[in-house]
Amino acid sequence: MAGPARYREPRPLLARGPQRPGLEAEVEYRKRQLPWIPRRTGLWNPCACKSYQDFHAFDLSGATRVLEWIGDKGVFVAGYESLKKNEILHLILPLRLSVKENQGLFPERDFKVRHGGFSDGSVFDLKYVPDTRLLVTSGLPGCYLRVWQFAEDSDVIKPVSTIAVHEKEGNFWPRVAVFSSVAPGVLHGARLSDLKIVDLESQKVTYSSGISDSEELSSLQVLDADIFAFCCTSGHLGIVDTRQKWAPLENTSPNLGSGEERWCAEVRGMDQGPGSCIASLGSEGQLRLLDTRDLCHPMSSVQCPVSTPSPNPELLRVSWAPGLDNCLAISGFDGTVQVYDVTSWDGMGIQVEPLFTHRGHIFLNENKMDTAPQVTTHTWHPCKPRTLLSAASDASLHVWDWVDLRASC
Amino acid sequence: MPLTQNSAHIPRFRRENRKLAQRLHLRSASLLVSGSRVPGFSSAQVERRGSGAEDPPPRRMPEIRVTPLGAGQDVGRSCILVSIAGKNVMLDCGMHMGFNDDRRFPDFSYITQNGRLTDFLDCVIISHFHLDHCGALPYFSEMVGYDGPIYMTHPTQAICPILLEDYRKIAVDKKGEANFFTSQMIKDCMKKVVAVHLHQTVQVDDELEIKAYYAGHVLGAAMFQIKVGSESVVYTGDYNMTPDRHLGAAWIDKCRPNLLITESTYATTIRDSKRCRERDFLKKVHETVERGGKVLIPVFALGRAQELCILLETFWERMNLKVPIYFSTGLTEKANHYYKLFITWTNQKIRKTFVQRNMFEFKHIKAFDRAFADNPGPMVVFATPGMLHAGQSLQIFRKWAGNEKNMVIMPGYCVQGTVGHKILSGQRKLEMEGRQVLEVKMQVEYMSFSAHADAKGIMQLVGQAEPERVLLVHGEAKKMEFLRQKIEQEFRVSCYMPANGETVTLPTSPSIPVGISLGLLKREMAQGLLPEAKKPRLLHGTLIMKDSNFRLVSSEQALKELGLAEHQLRFTCRVHLQDARKEQETALRVYSHLKSTLKDHCVQHLPDGSVTVESILIQAAAHSEDPGTKVLLVSWTYQDEELGSFLTTLLKKGLPQAPS
Repeated sequence: MAGPARYREPRPLLARGPQRPGLEAEVEYRKRQLPWIPRRTGLWNPCACKSYQDFHAFDLSGATRVLEWIGDKGVFVAGYESLKKNEILHLILPLRLSVKENQGLFPERDFKVRHGGFSDGSVFDLKYVPDTRLLVTSGLPGCYLRVWQFAEDSDVIKPVSTIAVHEKEGNFWPRVAVFSSVAPGVLHGARLSDLKIVDLESQKVTYSSGISDSEELSSLQVLDADIFAFCCTSGHLGIVDTRQKWAPLENTSPNLGSGEERWCAEVRGMDQGPGSCIASLGSEGQLRLLDTRDLCHPMSSVQCPVSTPSPNPELLRVSWAPGLDNCLAISGFDGTVQVYDVTSWDGMGIQVEPLFTHRGHIFLNENKMDTAPQVTTHTWHPCKPRTLLSAASDASLHVWDWVDLRASC
Repeated sequence: MPLTQNSAHIPRFRRENRKLAQRLHLRSASLLVSGSRVPGFSSAQVERRGSGAEDPPPRRMPEIRVTPLGAGQDVGRSCILVSIAGKNVMLDCGMHMGFNDDRRFPDFSYITQNGRLTDFLDCVIISHFHLDHCGALPYFSEMVGYDGPIYMTHPTQAICPILLEDYRKIAVDKKGEANFFTSQMIKDCMKKVVAVHLHQTVQVDDELEIKAYYAGHVLGAAMFQIKVGSESVVYTGDYNMTPDRHLGAAWIDKCRPNLLITESTYATTIRDSKRCRERDFLKKVHETVERGGKVLIPVFALGRAQELCILLETFWERMNLKVPIYFSTGLTEKANHYYKLFITWTNQKIRKTFVQRNMFEFKHIKAFDRAFADNPGPMVVFATPGMLHAGQSLQIFRKWAGNEKNMVIMPGYCVQGTVGHKILSGQRKLEMEGRQVLEVKMQVEYMSFSAHADAKGIMQLVGQAEPERVLLVHGEAKKMEFLRQKIEQEFRVSCYMPANGETVTLPTSPSIPVGISLGLLKREMAQGLLPEAKKPRLLHGTLIMKDSNFRLVSSEQALKELGLAEHQLRFTCRVHLQDARKEQETALRVYSHLKSTLKDHCVQHLPDGSVTVESILIQAAAHSEDPGTKVLLVSWTYQDEELGSFLTTLLKKGLPQAPS
């Protein structure tokens, strides 16, 4: 048991590494000693103070699986509860995060709700159509996508139309990505066989995969005006040029571990043309990096230190940092978000350690320790290099600017 | 005496009929006794308040009317007029901090152009001591002129005059404003204040009662329930649904008011967690003292100072820091005084956590001496006043401002014209007395711990109180459409957002209790059929309205009480029947038809050829022109109105064909 003597030496409460022996005991001790202070005060710890340049924690009215940027000051969130009205919110980031220099205790540190709407179904995916006031959402029931519109002179997001999806099975819902151009197109599909691009205005199908492969999709990403990438839950990856018939550059990944894992992926540097890198994350913590020019041979394959396989692989996320070289973040295993530097990864099957682990969702959780929330999604701030947003199943939304402790050592 | 037969309609008295209604004490009516609500009867109330030489405007309304004079779609100078069941209440009397002209105070001329305010208002209620809720009070009561009662909680009563005096000093002494209220006016105004306890029901007069509920926000902040008869309105003032270190969360019982008026300052805001704010505060203080700087925290004696002390004390303990923390002595005395007085207000839900502990017994925080300010090395000082306009905080500020290592943290709002306001708006060169220019090199930080309910909190409170309707004040309508829809969808109640000067009128269906005489009740019960709680039942009686009392008695008793003679009232109706037979035969046919149809009633065929059913008399006569038609004369007393109408309807359908 940890006693007073132990407490006197401040231990890094938010230190790296997943294991924190004696944490409960320490919390218990603190509760006894300082009864007027809530126990979840790890943030005050000197180490925690230094780990974050900034840390803001918010409570949404419902948990979100969506964090979709609109510009660099706004973000959309949406509820995903079934059998309930869910909210879609357009939030304006705290002013404090928009100012260039961090001006200390700048007063505006709250999110503002700019627009809001109500969805009858659950929202699993939401995409903003750039340069418009339109949104496309997907979720359950998965038989159609919804198109929404918001206006300048009102704060209400209204449904405007639906896009029919020929998905008959109850539990599947289409993934969505948007081709932004003069005539925006919505790429969607729950399986490879029903991948389609629908013109948003005319609702005409402008492209379809036309194949019979019914593999289930996990990620879709538009890379440029004609090219998109997909990842199937099996780990099957591909890059498709819509100007041609279906002939993707692909990795069919026949030998990916036990076969039980589910995968998701993200392509880095969409604007950097060929030669960019795909990160693919498996539900047991495997992380593969592939060169888009050679999808057959992964550049590296590492094992991330996750405590358990992902309890809900739909929540797996891997994302490249837009403002840092070779950094990515993963979540979907537990209540944490891990940040990695991939620079020196060059082997197969090696164990890697995260550069930073965000445990705020566990520490600030209002519930008991044993019902720790699961991180539902995360995203990088488009301009502030080390700022991430993360959301968890307890409806918390965190904005955090982490400190690379390597630099200060 | 107009003894009107009327069983289907209850007379509706309009306002203009009020005087008539006063004179007519007796009405015969039938009421649905088990259903307590009598629609359309709400306005039938008797003007009770004596009128002076000048007749006050009509006060009795069958609806609730709300008119914001300030705070309608706007923040600042909260002031809302509520008219409920003829009582007029003014909620808050705030000033706008952003204006120096007429717009600073609410437009009280809306209430009356040249009459006395006291004649038009039954009372004024102040929710808490913030100036945007009470700043116009001395102006309103002493300069415009109001002599009625002003209600507020005990802590608000104690703190409000101090703040008003501070504000007056800044306005008059610093900014040189003329025509402002004086210290004496503040004192006179406070004499009109009636202090209330939490959850204490206060009778403003015989009908109007108010009750305060805990609102969090600041010490002494309260929500008020305003009730007249069965109608009620709840006004939240500013409130906070999450407990903090020295105040609890707002709480109200399921009082189901007709209307909930709630602030919505932060309705479109999702607030950063308190812990993150505190973390930043500690981080800033820590960084400054670590590099050898001094930290000045100007505070108002009450409110957040205690919270910040607790925070720093704990942090110092945790971090094993040795840097001294001081607070100015005046601060502790004042604060301890108030906290002793109002300890129940701080511990509504967190008494256990605060264990009976002197708010200022700290291990690391010590009393400040003027000489300490010149000590070398880092330190943290809490000093009053909070806006840096005078006193110790200003003295220390002048000493430390020149060193960029030092920092001043402003933990709250500053009034225009104060040093606090100037430095927060970025001014770096300050002109002090004697043309001295003070260059501010120290870091200036602002930190808002203000505790308002956000959208989630508003939803929680609406859920707690379960109002019939919701009205939002503070906040732009354009930005709140989504919230309005959210409230309407989730609670299925209508939601309003009036602008300043705009009136929202809400119809109410007030329930009026009516006493029933035992005799009448017994008689009804003797007719069988015990009353059932859920089933409305028809009952005949006479309604006596006297001295705002409603009683239902038997008509005999009513006559007796009022010393009146009974008038017999009979109704007669002609029913034409196709029947070529003789009158007697027709009467016989009618008799046998009724006998077989009305098995429960006493149907008789009298020797003179007429038929009776209870008191109803039916006679058959020949038609003067058409021998093939007979005329039935049906006559009944008003007591048997129902049976009478039933019989006429039945007879109009014709008689069954006689067996051939």
